[in-house]
Amino acid sequence: MDKFRESNAQVLGISVDSVADQKEFARQNGADFPLLSDSKGQVATLYGVFNKERGFANRATFVIDEQGRIVSIELGSSAINVEGALSACSK
Amino acid sequence: MARAFAAAVLLLAAASFPAGYAQQPAAVQTATLKTGDTAPDFTLPDQDSNPVRLSSLVGKRKVVLAFYVKAFTSG
Repeated sequence: MDKFRESNAQVLGISVDSVADQKEFARQNGADFPLLSDSKGQVATLYGVFNKERGFANRATFVIDEQGRIVSIELGSSAINVEGALSACSK
Repeated sequence: MARAFAAAVLLLAAASFPAGYAQQPAAVQTATLKTGDTAPDFTLPDQDSNPVRLSSLVGKRKVVLAFYVKAFTSG
């Protein structure tokens, strides 16, 4: 997470949580970047990371360059752990 | 037979090698996207209900889109 902050990238967290849940999560963890509510999983589906069986997005990180191209995709345990990063920051 | 087994083990080891450690980015792809593709645009509300549109952020700096599992589950 820190390496992205240092590179001056805009971080966007995204999950299927409601706006209210995101607000509470952000408040509890002091998130200093937008947490987007993809409540129907539409964007996760668009990006090919929606887990239909479990009803949420699998963990995945996409880095998008200034031209709007995807320059990096990381999936699963190699992707950013937003929950873990925020919990670590709030300690 | 033993040689085939050794080759299979090597393949498995190569496949499970973390992409981040490779010199060249591995060809990671999802069901719909791969590196080099244009990121699909979208608009979603943030935690304060403000609409955030991807295309309004692109062009100024890199954007890191971090999908994560539901905030209130341990998954």
